[in-house]
Amino acid sequence: MSATTTAHPAVAEKASMKTKRRLKRMPVGGYVCAAIVLVVFLFPLLYLVNTALKSNDAFVADPVGIVHNPQWGNFITAWNKGDFGSYILNSVLYTAAGSAIGTLITLVLAFPVSRGYIKGSKLWSVLFVLVLFLPNALITQFQLLLRLHLYDNRLGYILMVSVGLGIGPLLFSGFVKSIPRELDEAAAMDGVGYWRYLFTFIFPLARPALATIFILQAVWIWNEIVLATVLLADPSKFPVTVGLYAFKGTYSNQWPLLAAATFIVAAPLIVGYVFIQRYLVNGVLGSVKG
Amino acid sequence: MTSFPFPRRSPVRISFGIGLAILTVFGLVPAVGVLVVSFTDLRGLPYLPVNWVGIDNYVTFFSPSKWPDSLNALQNTIIFALASTVVQIVAALGIALLLNRPLRGRNFYRAVVFMPTVLGVTVTGLVWSLMFNVSGGPAKSVFALFGAHSAFFGDPHLALSLVILVQIWMVVGVSVIIFLAGLQAVPEELYEAAAIDGATAWKRFRWVTVPMLAPSITANVLLGIVNALQSYQLTFVLTGPNNHSTQVLSLLVYVQGFGGASGTTLSQSQGYASAVSMVQFVLVAVVSLIALVILRRREAKL
Repeated sequence: MSATTTAHPAVAEKASMKTKRRLKRMPVGGYVCAAIVLVVFLFPLLYLVNTALKSNDAFVADPVGIVHNPQWGNFITAWNKGDFGSYILNSVLYTAAGSAIGTLITLVLAFPVSRGYIKGSKLWSVLFVLVLFLPNALITQFQLLLRLHLYDNRLGYILMVSVGLGIGPLLFSGFVKSIPRELDEAAAMDGVGYWRYLFTFIFPLARPALATIFILQAVWIWNEIVLATVLLADPSKFPVTVGLYAFKGTYSNQWPLLAAATFIVAAPLIVGYVFIQRYLVNGVLGSVKG
Repeated sequence: MTSFPFPRRSPVRISFGIGLAILTVFGLVPAVGVLVVSFTDLRGLPYLPVNWVGIDNYVTFFSPSKWPDSLNALQNTIIFALASTVVQIVAALGIALLLNRPLRGRNFYRAVVFMPTVLGVTVTGLVWSLMFNVSGGPAKSVFALFGAHSAFFGDPHLALSLVILVQIWMVVGVSVIIFLAGLQAVPEELYEAAAIDGATAWKRFRWVTVPMLAPSITANVLLGIVNALQSYQLTFVLTGPNNHSTQVLSLLVYVQGFGGASGTTLSQSQGYASAVSMVQFVLVAVVSLIALVILRRREAKL
């Protein structure tokens, strides 16, 4: 990737060398546009923080004014009134377990299908496309878990979200084609069994692709709210999406408190995102290229 | 069947079988079940008798008493899908072209644009409820500058457009990344050749960038359509499931199957809700197929 990114300044320079005037003007326009983009994406969050630091009276009196007397206690109140610690832990559990199972399913399904190691490979690859277009099965997902006695059960919800494979199998069967078949043969010749080959050869080789598949599914599970509303009843099992939504229902007219709660949920995400963003964005980039 | 190098086939079959079993039980069975349930009068409460009712649920969907609701949800779904896909792609392409230029800190801009995807629907929903707060907020202040006022999410004419805007804000980052990947794959020789031939910036964009981006555009359009037709999480958070002006088909499924606000016996019919799911499924399939055929034909032409 670095090779292509460093190549691009050259393209832009060559294009702009035609006129000196443009060489001077172009970056300015670019930075103005970039600034607009930044404002569009960051202002709502700054406004959230601004609101979270106001007292209720100050917010009612002047909602848009910049905060004068920051009320740090709002965060403590919000933390005490909503059980955000356990909501976040639930979400982490559902997301990690669901995406891990989903990625594993993708691995064991897509590799043999892509290689033709299983009967009816053509048919199975059609299935990989089909899973993208499955109907909204809210009703039957609920009924199924009810009948399996997995309703309002963490494992039930995890299994339900783990099969939301999305484009994972398609991505992975594409990626497998870039691993030479000779490697399979050489490993088999040396007496490596299929499972050992899959987990000690393919797994590390395919780590970037698998990471992408994991991340795409994790983003989906982390954002899921309706299925969780339907499949879970006990508030102590709620993921953070449902927990925060319930908090909104209770404190809908206390915006500073609500904003503080929203910030409590958003802050660890933003901090975590700062650390993994390169990986995350490059993962999506890689998935499209691959 | 190609040659199989490993000594035994059984491990392949076992791991494939386990994966397929989980996918089948929790993914495919509910999906096929929707079709079956749509021909019954299944209700939300367990242990009530379930009867076959044939195509009654579908007849009800198109019957005069339900048609206003059905039509409303159909219209909202199609408007939502079309508007959010088109605007999102135009916006994403613009941002991607901007971020593909040699600007300082462009990795930072890229990270910021992608961030809402990580924040999630509830945070996004609450942030924008705050922005469009009726009793006072940035949106209200901007409207006041022009001497206008609005109920925002409470205004039936505006609510759907606002939900679409927030949806685009939330997911545009993914499209931007897909376009950036496409842009980086465009060989620079093409731009050089075009520049030597005296092509203007617009011509280079129209005849080099756009054709070379055709696969990314196809991917984004399909992703956008499928997402938009099936996504209801954000609408659920922003306006609740029962708001007539933003009720898309998926939310109708939720309200019909799980009550929403109204608790009458009819509004609890999960059989009927499944029929609505199937109508939505057919809509998604038809629209995606048409889009795919058109885009592939264009790709072939370019």
